[in-house]
Amino acid sequence: MKRVLPGFGLSLGITLVYLGLLVLLPLSGLVFKSSALSFAQWWDIATGERALASLRVTFGASLLAATINAVFGLIVAWVLVRYSFPGKRLVDSLVDLPFALPTAVAGITLATLYAGNGWVGRYLEPLGIKVAFTPLGIVVALTFIGLPFVVRTLQPVIEDIEPEVEEAAATLGASRAQTFFRVLLPGIFPALLTGFTLAFSRAVGEYGSVIFIAGNMPLVSEITPLLIISKLEQYDIVGATALALLMLIISFLLLLGVNALQWWAAHRHHRLNGGAL
Amino acid sequence: MSIEISGVTKRFGSFTALDNIHLDIPTGELVALLGPSGCGKTTLLRIIAGMESADAGHVKFAGEEATHLHARERKVGFVFQHYALFRHMTVFENVAFGLRVKPRAERPSETEIRRRVSELLKLVQLDWLAERYPSQLSGGQRQRIALARALAVEPKVLLLDEPFGALDTKVRKELRRWLRRLHDEMHISSVFVTHDQEEALEVADRVVVMNHGKIEQIGSPDEVYSNPASPFVYQFLGNVNVFHSRVHGDWAEIGREEAQTRDAGNVVAFVRPHDIEIENAPVAGGLESLVQEVHTIGPLVRVELAHGPELVEVELTRERAATLTLGKGQRVWLRPRQVKVFEASAWDLEDGGSGI
Amino acid sequence: MSTSSPRRANAEPRWLRLTLTAVALGFLGLFLALPLVAVFTEALRSGWDNYLTALADREALAAIRLTVFIAVFVLPFNIAVGVAAAWAIAKFDFRGKSLLITLIDLPFAVSPVVVGLVFLMIFGAQGLLGPWLSAHEIKVVFALPGMILVTLFITFPFVARELIPLMQAQGKDEEEAAISLGATGWQMFFRVTLPNIKWGLLYGVILANARAMGEFGAVSVVSGHIRGETNTLPLHVEILYNEYNAVGSFAAASVLALLALVTLVAKTLVEWRMRRETEMLAATLAPEATGTSTGNRS
Repeated sequence: MKRVLPGFGLSLGITLVYLGLLVLLPLSGLVFKSSALSFAQWWDIATGERALASLRVTFGASLLAATINAVFGLIVAWVLVRYSFPGKRLVDSLVDLPFALPTAVAGITLATLYAGNGWVGRYLEPLGIKVAFTPLGIVVALTFIGLPFVVRTLQPVIEDIEPEVEEAAATLGASRAQTFFRVLLPGIFPALLTGFTLAFSRAVGEYGSVIFIAGNMPLVSEITPLLIISKLEQYDIVGATALALLMLIISFLLLLGVNALQWWAAHRHHRLNGGAL
Repeated sequence: MSIEISGVTKRFGSFTALDNIHLDIPTGELVALLGPSGCGKTTLLRIIAGMESADAGHVKFAGEEATHLHARERKVGFVFQHYALFRHMTVFENVAFGLRVKPRAERPSETEIRRRVSELLKLVQLDWLAERYPSQLSGGQRQRIALARALAVEPKVLLLDEPFGALDTKVRKELRRWLRRLHDEMHISSVFVTHDQEEALEVADRVVVMNHGKIEQIGSPDEVYSNPASPFVYQFLGNVNVFHSRVHGDWAEIGREEAQTRDAGNVVAFVRPHDIEIENAPVAGGLESLVQEVHTIGPLVRVELAHGPELVEVELTRERAATLTLGKGQRVWLRPRQVKVFEASAWDLEDGGSGI
Repeated sequence: MSTSSPRRANAEPRWLRLTLTAVALGFLGLFLALPLVAVFTEALRSGWDNYLTALADREALAAIRLTVFIAVFVLPFNIAVGVAAAWAIAKFDFRGKSLLITLIDLPFAVSPVVVGLVFLMIFGAQGLLGPWLSAHEIKVVFALPGMILVTLFITFPFVARELIPLMQAQGKDEEEAAISLGATGWQMFFRVTLPNIKWGLLYGVILANARAMGEFGAVSVVSGHIRGETNTLPLHVEILYNEYNAVGSFAAASVLALLALVTLVAKTLVEWRMRRETEMLAATLAPEATGTSTGNRS
């Protein structure tokens, strides 16, 4: 078909070649490398004691961190959109700090803050709460890393809520709480879930910010990415590859999940608007 | 420059946007492509401009094959529905764009560009806005700048996609008249797309009525209005009362002479509301009806009447209504001045509805 | 963000507003502001002299140079491919478009450690191309080329992701108008498209740059940690930290934190510009411009 606008072949060609050579080919290289393993061998490595423990730590901490982010992210997004207070714009810009701050910097800083003699740790330690060098430290690091996702996904959605909807609910006799939980929350729920999933999927793969604060005790506070690295350092290429493939599959599934969620949110929105767009 | 379109067909997937279109546009005419949304009018315009390619058929400019010419080479002025002004350029630079991108050999000098642009801005009466940006203009001003920009490259054909669609009613009317005057001065073949029948009838030399990817009728504004070729055209150009002969046997009788060869049971009669006369006393062939509502709308009086279960709409002048002194529930007789009869099958294809 | 003063019916009671604001600010203070302050405090703990000495260290300077070099090398690729991908996706319809969009996002989803490992598996001594590379004495992993490759991988999505929605919102009309007025493809691109997307492009570049300079996991796997040679600034931070050189480590970290602050400021400024552009776009599409439409109509 003839197209009026030029450059379709060129731009799509560049994109596909680049994507193929830089992203898809290397990733399929990993799959190819691990095909040396039988499924049973692969399964043995993936469910070995240390691997399973690391997966439990990784996913448990990520889930907890994403949940914390969902709750506080909703409050932060609401406050930033709806209320005004001095310095709001500054605070709003600061939300992106975890995107901009290199993870290694975040890692050493959090480790220092939450260590027994750190600014925060020294108040928690007497209460019997140890954060640095425990799984709890991992949750702290992952909460930092995932913080912008929920806030940034929710903000535009909250901004788009038409005030009339709330006014209608109020005139129909709903209390503010009823309005929020019955009218507003269902509307922003898909975005909340998307933000949660984004934060979760980022947390699962995170490495830099975690290793400094985690303590990295095998079976206790060792995350899967770190286990991959230590297998590599012991020249256990097969083991590292097997775990990497597992992580790759998981991240692929999470990516598909995010896409499905976004499609769902868009579709729902579409339908609510009577399909006009 | 004349435009000849022959056998143009365009499909989007399984949807046929244009079905074997034949259309000749003589030099210097102002033609309206009129139809409801989705009828293919914009697709046809884009095919003429070379923005879209047809699956089959030919487009010729002044008798020369243009089907495979790229949009860049067609020397066509195209005015977009939402104007598509370059938002990062001033009004002046917008109009100058077509001159500035010409190959070095053909490009006019800077002084010549300045002269031509200010001439065009004067033509559209907006020379005082030259240094503004598109976002600082009103809709009507943007529309005129878009037109000046299209005219800058001295096109042989001017194509306008819903030129007044995004404007409010008052500005629309002014621009309509202004475009007509401009066309009479410049005299280039122009085609514009519209879904507004009033616009097409007022501005165009000829109206092409389209529906479902086909041309329903081509004719002067008066022709298509007073002598519609199909029930669709009748319906689309203004209000109409539809009478099924089963229900209104007498009225189908009135149209009998026109429908001599047709079976009386299978025809549908179309009558415009202003082509019906209301009488206070029985007349031959008159339909006995009861007045339901009387609304005065500006210079007109609109009367809604019930004939049995059917609703009939009639428009009268204020003077006529005053002599009738119509009241709710009053019994009157309706007499058509002009009836057009179509076969019922042609009507059923379009719509099963009952009139207005 | 429009500073909204909610209408009466939509406002929470005052005590709830204050509580929610306090909770939000407390959370952000604990997780964002406190670490940011801590970086600089730790870096300056033993005075400016020690701080500056730590920064002037030969290896620290080498790390800074390498970090900047990689970013400068990688960004042009990001720009070219990002614009190409956005052009194809936003302006044309083709089969498999949504799959392509998903694949462009893929580098965001993959763990940095896995990215590093993937390139190790291909270019490393035991990798697919390893024997061939060592036979030709080409070093990819544990050397600069490998670090550039993983950085290209990691930063690939930023520009495209920023441009796709922007270019979709802008539509094709202006480009079609340019073509119908006789412009060639490149004239159209440089005179119409590029001016329209420049802020979005800059935004994507800022984010990609921050990531390129700050990347740790993936680069760590392929760098080999050769001091003074394949150490980027984030890797340098790690090494010093593990050697219990807190001042040196936080001094290097403070440079990166400063970079993050510059990124945030630049990002905010560009966002502000883009919001104005969006308003301009909305105004250009709206039936009537507001304010200046005093009309001398014929």
